[in-house]
Amino acid sequence: VHRWKGLDLSQIPYINVVKHLTSACPNVYSISRFHHTTPDSKTHSGEKYTDPFKLGWRDLKGLYEDIRKELLISTSELKEMSEYYFDGKGKAFRPIIVALMARACNIHHNNSRHVQASQRTIALIAEMIHTASLVHDDVIDDASSRRGKHTVNKIWGEKKAVLAGDLILSAASIALARIGNTTVISILTQVIEDLVRGEFLQLGSKENESERFAHYLEKTFKKTASLIANSCKAVSVLGCPDPVVHEIAYQYGKNVGIAFQLIDDVLDFTSCSDQMGKPTSADLKLGLATGPVLFACQQFPEMNAMIMRRFSLPGDVDRARQYVLQSDGVQQTTYLAQQYCHEAIREISKLRPSPERDALIQLSEIVLTRDK
Amino acid sequence: MNLRQLLLHLPRYLGASGSLRRLWWSPSLDTISSVGSWRGQSSKSPAHWNQVVSEAEKIVGYPTSFMSLRCLLSDELSNIAMQVRKLVGTQHPLLTTARGLVHDSWNSLQLRGLVVLLISKAAGPSSVNTSCQNYDMVSGIYSCQRSLAEITELIHTALLVHRGIVNLNELQSSDGPLKDMQFGNKIAILSGDFLLANACNGLALLQNTKVVELLASALMDLVQGVYHENSTSKESYITDDIGISTWKEQTFLSHGALLAKSCQAAMELAKHDAEVQDMAFQYGKHMAMSHKINSDVQPFVKEKTSDSMTFNLNSAPVVLHQEFLGRDLWIKQIGEAQEKGRLDYAKLRERIKAGKGVTSAIDLCRYHGNKALEALESFPPSEARSALENIVFAVTRFS
Repeated sequence: VHRWKGLDLSQIPYINVVKHLTSACPNVYSISRFHHTTPDSKTHSGEKYTDPFKLGWRDLKGLYEDIRKELLISTSELKEMSEYYFDGKGKAFRPIIVALMARACNIHHNNSRHVQASQRTIALIAEMIHTASLVHDDVIDDASSRRGKHTVNKIWGEKKAVLAGDLILSAASIALARIGNTTVISILTQVIEDLVRGEFLQLGSKENESERFAHYLEKTFKKTASLIANSCKAVSVLGCPDPVVHEIAYQYGKNVGIAFQLIDDVLDFTSCSDQMGKPTSADLKLGLATGPVLFACQQFPEMNAMIMRRFSLPGDVDRARQYVLQSDGVQQTTYLAQQYCHEAIREISKLRPSPERDALIQLSEIVLTRDK
Repeated sequence: MNLRQLLLHLPRYLGASGSLRRLWWSPSLDTISSVGSWRGQSSKSPAHWNQVVSEAEKIVGYPTSFMSLRCLLSDELSNIAMQVRKLVGTQHPLLTTARGLVHDSWNSLQLRGLVVLLISKAAGPSSVNTSCQNYDMVSGIYSCQRSLAEITELIHTALLVHRGIVNLNELQSSDGPLKDMQFGNKIAILSGDFLLANACNGLALLQNTKVVELLASALMDLVQGVYHENSTSKESYITDDIGISTWKEQTFLSHGALLAKSCQAAMELAKHDAEVQDMAFQYGKHMAMSHKINSDVQPFVKEKTSDSMTFNLNSAPVVLHQEFLGRDLWIKQIGEAQEKGRLDYAKLRERIKAGKGVTSAIDLCRYHGNKALEALESFPPSEARSALENIVFAVTRFS
């Protein structure tokens, strides 16, 4: 694993990734998400793990109430739509990471046990930007359910759903501006741009196989990891003047974010829809070839044609699903996710030990083992 | 491909016909009537309006400066232009929006940006010395103010695109295949988001948190305004039961807030004090209100109107007419103007013209025009200030 040090995984073309993985660790195929166990129950600082979600939540009490306060709208229906996903039933994965990162950086910097109000606001903003993009994505994908409930577009129609997304984005931008830090504004603005560019990347496809994998990883970074990476960076900037720390925070968020999405793509094949709160094989139905498909295509080149026609012929989705499940696609994608997690842990371990730092380490492992 | 080229190509993708020589405000008038814009509909003001605008453009320097909307150079948006072609033959509103960007100069990409530039120039240089890199000045306008003008246009255009999303469960068979309409929605959301992301990016580069907050709140206002506009049903022939004060609030959100807050932000960028900022805000607000009422009044004052011409039942003259008449009588009038479930707009127009709604709307338009002129009095006399005054004169003229 040490051979991965300093490597930016997203820069490596697909073929090299596979070569690299197999040479670095010849028995990759025996490793899978299902066999993966946490190596030890002690943190690097020797303390017993607590639940990272509980630890992070200490600074996030009232998160959803506070988000709803940012949505200052007089029109009741528009307000209801904008608040729809801030019902407290989400995992709050992003705010948790952000809150833990804030404390980890503050402790690293001057042993401060205090989380600044502005850092907490970043957690709100991260969740708001994420939600705004979900609302738009659901219209784009014509999705009908999310988190076990109907989507905004299914209840109120596409016209209003798009405006609800815009409204949440504007509220997030106002909150961001009020922090009063131009560097932080630039950092989080990058996320908004990446989210859109990621969506454009998803629209296109590449014919060349190695380009296709790089394209997939770039899309994954922009659509998922950029938000986590940049909000981690933002709280580090607010908490600590050292650029080295900002880079650690960014790299941690980026690597955990990519791992998170890779596992999400795996779960689309291995989980049942009840667990996910959204339909499975959703990506295939949208014509998207994610990690497991791209790996499976190595073993079953006949999948190429299906990928190119975006699984549009009758039976394509089922056949592709079967190919993936017969192949090592799931294991290889999981293995790749593990590599990103190792990288995330390697980065965050550079910070001074703290319960929050260790919770971030644990969180990156939870990302790998989650089943929903 | 720059914006101008992109837009020149768009109509070809869209299958639009008609002259494209007059994309922007150019002095020649010969093709005005072929352009279905406000200017084309109003028989006497166009010459005046064109003159006002072309002179204003000269004042702010190179008129194409903020037309180079940088994001439009990107592959993403050029690709969209190609994709939009697939929608030809459907009734997706994105087509109308895209055509509008080309043809409709009155609602086009430029007016808001132009006003932001003019007011920047009218206010003059900053009283405080700044060393900010954005502070190089061309034609009396800071480059950061030029960026702001562009951002204002980006936000306006993004919402123009987003307001044209269709509800998939309300489609008529005449709209075209479901798949195409879905595709149209997808492209509309993405291009709107793309424009917004570029606006955010431009705002971040201005390095001024107050300006970011102002424009973000303008976006929030605009979204709420568009929501109100969208939620008034065009099919039911029943107007909203709102008085003119509610109408004003909603119209400020949908038509005034962006310009008002952008004008204010332009002053903030040059470090002008709170009083100057407020005057700029007032000018932007009242000019925009006056402008909106003017276009609302057009269907009722033009010498020649075709009988089939419809008008918005939530426009200023109609809302005022309703207020004078009382809700019950108004509903009765609408009922009387309906035949076999279709509204006879010509008949209803005559009823409205017989009442006091139209003249009150004209009064209201002039009231806002005067307020805009009052706000300008605090700026020192200059050709930029005159241009801003002339814009007000043009939108308050009804002859």
